[in-house]
Amino acid sequence: MAEQAVETVLEEAEPEDIVTPEPSPEGEPEATSDGDAKPSSAAEKKPPPKVAPQAPSGGNSIVVRDRYSIYYDRPISKLDMPNAQAFEVEDRKQPGRALYALVCKPEMVSRISVMRVLKGNEIPNMLHLVDWGAAEWPPANRKCVIIIYYRPLGGRVMDSLSAVSERIPDHQFPKLIIKPIAEALTELGLKGITHRAIRPDNLYWVDDSKQKIVLGDCCTSVAAGDQPTVVETIESGMANPNARGSGMYADDMYSLGVTLLMLAVGRNPLAGRSDEDVLDKKMNEGSYAALVGDERLPVSLIECLRGLMTDDAEQRWTTQNIELWLNGKRLTPVQARAEPHSQRGFKFAEREFWSCRPLALHMHRHWDEAAKIIHDGSLEIWIRRGLEANDLADAVSAAIKTTLAMPGDQKETDDVLVSRVLMLMDPAAPVKYRNFCTNLDGFGSALAVAMLQKKSLQPYIDFINKDLWRHWVAAQAAFNTDNSQWDGVFKDLKNYLKDTNSGAGIERCVYELIEWLYCMSPLIASQYVMEVKGVLPALDTVSKTVNSKMWPVDRHVAAFLRARYAKGTGTQIDAMNDPKPDRATIGMLSVLAIVQWRLGPDSVFGLAGWVGGLMGPVINSYHNRQKRKEIEKEIPKLVRKGNLPELYNFLDNPEERQRDAEGFAWAKAEYASAEKQIYEFQHGQIDRDEDAQRTGRQAGAVVASVIMFLAYVIALFGELV
Amino acid sequence: MAKQPTPVQKKPLFSKNQMYLYAMIAIPLALMFIPTVIMLAFILLPACVAMLVERSKGWYCGACVGAMSLAGASPSLTDLWFNNHTIQGAFQTMGNLWTILLIYGCAAIGWAIYVTTPSIVSTFMAMTAGRRIEVLKAQQKELVVKWGPDVESVYEPEDKGDGHAQASAPTSVPAPG
Repeated sequence: MAEQAVETVLEEAEPEDIVTPEPSPEGEPEATSDGDAKPSSAAEKKPPPKVAPQAPSGGNSIVVRDRYSIYYDRPISKLDMPNAQAFEVEDRKQPGRALYALVCKPEMVSRISVMRVLKGNEIPNMLHLVDWGAAEWPPANRKCVIIIYYRPLGGRVMDSLSAVSERIPDHQFPKLIIKPIAEALTELGLKGITHRAIRPDNLYWVDDSKQKIVLGDCCTSVAAGDQPTVVETIESGMANPNARGSGMYADDMYSLGVTLLMLAVGRNPLAGRSDEDVLDKKMNEGSYAALVGDERLPVSLIECLRGLMTDDAEQRWTTQNIELWLNGKRLTPVQARAEPHSQRGFKFAEREFWSCRPLALHMHRHWDEAAKIIHDGSLEIWIRRGLEANDLADAVSAAIKTTLAMPGDQKETDDVLVSRVLMLMDPAAPVKYRNFCTNLDGFGSALAVAMLQKKSLQPYIDFINKDLWRHWVAAQAAFNTDNSQWDGVFKDLKNYLKDTNSGAGIERCVYELIEWLYCMSPLIASQYVMEVKGVLPALDTVSKTVNSKMWPVDRHVAAFLRARYAKGTGTQIDAMNDPKPDRATIGMLSVLAIVQWRLGPDSVFGLAGWVGGLMGPVINSYHNRQKRKEIEKEIPKLVRKGNLPELYNFLDNPEERQRDAEGFAWAKAEYASAEKQIYEFQHGQIDRDEDAQRTGRQAGAVVASVIMFLAYVIALFGELV
Repeated sequence: MAKQPTPVQKKPLFSKNQMYLYAMIAIPLALMFIPTVIMLAFILLPACVAMLVERSKGWYCGACVGAMSLAGASPSLTDLWFNNHTIQGAFQTMGNLWTILLIYGCAAIGWAIYVTTPSIVSTFMAMTAGRRIEVLKAQQKELVVKWGPDVESVYEPEDKGDGHAQASAPTSVPAPG
């Protein structure tokens, strides 16, 4: 098999990688297009090896950090994640090491901040993250985030949530499963990380003998983005998958409880049910009862599972509880908190409800009908008389009054009204706004994914502009400092949205919300730039292929720079937003120039050529035609140096500009003066012109003086002669 | 209260010291040439009137009339200087009707010259206007070539209300450099 190796540098917050084709000495170089584009087909032809302690040499690969060969024609489909593909890896320095790489899909936002913590920090009983970074990935023809893990040789504990796994003997369960995972979660908790990907098919056997279990990857997609509803809490399950957020440790504990239950019974008890069914069942019966159902559980596990799966996050077991339980201490059984029930049912959308939360969930699913029962007052009456919750009824009434008093389109007002009422009816639930349902801490990741997947951003804009976040915080019964921090965050986002200039808007919001989000500009998205100093090299790289009429600093690049480097580029981006084309163009150049001046690199030839070609308005801003020609002649010389600050200083020289402005003012005055004289000549005004009068008078005086002189000469001559 | 603007004091033609110096020279000379001084006072009477009448337009009218008066008085003055330079002789000359007619007649011609030369000059300038317009347009073209069409402007005379168009003079800008 022909081999082509592509040497690249796996970068971690270091975007200056250079991709150099490196033909392998073991095979003839060959065009890679065939093999590159079809990693999945290659996988079909050749099933992945069950155990690969040492990856065989040969095949299409990239080499990262001069050490790891990642074979992109050798996928390991069994280790794929929902948003990442697994490939074989060979460690050149330690050939015996069993590793594999997860290549994240570019349309998903990875948890970079978690990767940064996990790299170099081995978490016990969790898949060890050896290295990570963004590198050129030939099959995608762009850079992708690649994470290198130790390869679990025993495979997944459960192949999928719909699969049936071998039951683990009851007596081995605490030691083999619960203890290691609890230890991993304790360690993650100490590092301030929530895993948010705990599910049966993300647990792996490290060894062939299946004696050691580890937690799988939690970085390849947004927090809880890959989680099925069944393993998530009721509240988290309601939210859109990408909008669940990092959540709390209690969310991980719940997922652990469901995972343990599934492993204990050997299957998913709610397999085949829709997400809506799962949520309804959990809400009506409680998570434990809904999931356990008629299953026969090991008696020894019941207490632990009940503690982990309780729906009240405050009462849910923590890792300390598990530790105590493992040490034999019997804990107080968790009591389910009773939901207030109505005296009479409330019929809505062909179902009858006796309590608030299920009704709120159903109202979200029947949004337009929900608006009707709010407007006709039947909901408020039921809450007041049936549920006898006068405080809630008053709050709903106040929400209706204040929302309807707001100016705006009827449909939009109704949407906000329904959203606010649902928040009051179920404060623990995420913010619901038609099909959009988000937790506050999941808003950023959801927005980023929506942008990457080019979905409508209107719900996100409405969420900020219509203060849904504020209403949700206000609806919470108990004051929570975590919630109050959002107030400042979203106020800032609202201000960014009001500003329609480059460097603000929804693009700014997304970069402010997600710390390590890469720049999503269509120009450099393929370069996966996570840091400001990577922007210029990335633009330099793409300069040969992009439409050179486009500005290198588009809305995304401007927002990225503003969010990541506001102190350095704020003034320049403001200048870029100037309505005058020449000022805006020089502003754009100044943005790039200051980044190069402060953060390097020393030369960006391609980008300088690109920017140099866009300087037409700046050249034309000089009035003097000769100066323009001089500039046009000089620009190519500066472009060849690849130094943008030099180009900027040349084009925006204040002395030259002043000289040009003064010269132009003089020329204008000269022209106007000439124009005036021409007008006067053409309109016969010369006889009234003061100059002509004065000249005439002077001439008269001269003539008279000459006559006088001649008269005296003659008279004197006559007397003397 | 707004501050009153300080009136600009007109600078005197001669300083006090210069005045004394000139007086020290002129008074002895005048005493030496009293007949001539009497004659000049008589001759330059129309010039003084002309200066007063056309005061707002400068000294050209006075110069014109004075020069012509002196030209008319040239035979009488030379006669006075060379033949009878006495006060009596001066009064005799001033009493001669032909001399008076000649002096004041020349003064009238001087006035006529003052009145007619501006019209003559204007007419001459109008005759040369075509050439001047060409030169100005060439200058404008050069400016446009060097500075682009943005320098162009259209002259619109301001109407003062008396039916006369008042040209709005462009702001004087010093040439760069």
